[in-house]
Amino acid sequence: MIEFDGVSKVYQAGGHELRAVDEVDLTIRKGEIFGVIGFSGAGKSTLVRLVNLLERPTSGRVVVDGEDLTRLSKPKLRNVRKRIGMIFQHFNLLESKTVRHNVAFPLAISGVPKRELQARVEEILEFVGLSDKADQYPEELSGGQKQRVGIARALATSPDILLCDEATSALDPETTKSILRLLKRVRDEYNITILMITHEMNVVREICDRVAVMENGKVIEKGTIFDLFSSPKHPTTQNFVRTVMENEIPASILEGIERRGSERNIYRITFINEHAGEPILSRVAKQFQVEVNVLFGQITELQGTPFGHLVVELQGEDKEILRAIDHIQSNVSIQEVEAHAG
Amino acid sequence: MQVNLADFWPRILEATNQTLLMVGISLLLATLIGLPLGIILVVTRGGGLLENRSVFNVFSTVVNFFRSIPFIILLVAILPFTRLIVGSSIGTAAAVVPLVIFSAPYIARLVESSLLEVKPGVVEAAEAMGATPWQIIWRVYIPEALSSITLNLTIATIGLVGASAMAGFVGGGGLGDLAISYGYQRFETDIMIATVLLLVLIVQVTQTIGTFISKKIRRQ
Repeated sequence: MIEFDGVSKVYQAGGHELRAVDEVDLTIRKGEIFGVIGFSGAGKSTLVRLVNLLERPTSGRVVVDGEDLTRLSKPKLRNVRKRIGMIFQHFNLLESKTVRHNVAFPLAISGVPKRELQARVEEILEFVGLSDKADQYPEELSGGQKQRVGIARALATSPDILLCDEATSALDPETTKSILRLLKRVRDEYNITILMITHEMNVVREICDRVAVMENGKVIEKGTIFDLFSSPKHPTTQNFVRTVMENEIPASILEGIERRGSERNIYRITFINEHAGEPILSRVAKQFQVEVNVLFGQITELQGTPFGHLVVELQGEDKEILRAIDHIQSNVSIQEVEAHAG
Repeated sequence: MQVNLADFWPRILEATNQTLLMVGISLLLATLIGLPLGIILVVTRGGGLLENRSVFNVFSTVVNFFRSIPFIILLVAILPFTRLIVGSSIGTAAAVVPLVIFSAPYIARLVESSLLEVKPGVVEAAEAMGATPWQIIWRVYIPEALSSITLNLTIATIGLVGASAMAGFVGGGGLGDLAISYGYQRFETDIMIATVLLLVLIVQVTQTIGTFISKKIRRQ
């Protein structure tokens, strides 16, 4: 649906080059919610603007629905833009217009007949749950309501693609959740491809199917949400995962372990998918001559599926412990943890 | 020879009329020139909608040039031009020409600053929706900045009231002319006070109306 093919965007700033986007290759499939995560200045804002050519690539191709946008004339580009909705961190609504007129704006500039326009505005306001606010001005609305207006406006022309530029970054956590739920409905009910950029891992965790991590203009890692959470490879990705899932064993626990000295058998068990719900540990404790001591752990939800890890200490005879590990391994992933390394 | 203020009222009324006429016509014409100029300055600047540095530089320089000439000098310097346009270099109509040339560049800058207050994000959103530059000017820039433009035009109007006082130099008449030729040069204190009070009233009323309309636009 959206294809970045060796795309770079270089700015000339005071004699030196700034590579905002550096040789990016990405393919975003139809109907998926694709997240691009990165710290500020990573180039993700530029990347999303390359899709509708608000920024022109310095080199490479941006192909949307089989069409190389960089080759289009201005009028044709404007027509393509009508099929690509966009929402923004600061909503960017017309302050001088009511909610109704804001949502009607993209239809009005396309010359949609009045009756059809009104019907569509009513329909889409209903969808985002703002029918009762149609005649209010943006400044009378809360942040979440403004973003709903933004979404309604972006969807008015029934686009195939929705670009989200830090769409929830200015919202509180509760509102963020409700906006994300709405975006998910947008994808599920209209089968719209969503490309969202964010610096918040919890946003990615909540709704994205696949994710790319950006740093210094480059995509440093990409994969499904489970790949990224279960085995983040790049240190930056690991940092992001850590923002929503504590991966390290807390210092206080490590200290306690080291103080007691002696040989310890500490393992990290990672639960993915359906296994997170199974009583593996209690089964191990029953079947083998081992005691299971849970030191630390965290289970979270990735797209409605539990995911997480536990750090446990297995106490007992070496032979029994090995058998226990064997059993665990057949179900979930388990690794030994060095007490001093965490 | 003292002039009786009571007998002088018709002269004052006539002068008031002349001032309102000069200011009104000049404002209208100067806005017709200044508004598009201001728009051009905003859309052609670096990073603008229709970025074009040479066009921007030319217009910006011309605007600065006319803005830097003191009005009294401009008034005299363009006399031949005035004669060409209105057929005469004296009278109220003749005063309108320099007033327009004086205030149009000023209005251009005021409009420019109003338009620059429009959040770039809103313009970007319209671009992302596939709006043409023309649509963005008429449906985004102007409506979003209209309240601020109204306030700025009020400032320009009051500036015009001040400048029109100097138009007496080319026989333009008006309240300022009366204050200078009777009140100042002939020491008719009554007339000076009466005309100045009238000017104060005009400025007050103008500002009140301008502020009211601006608020009205902001909260339709």
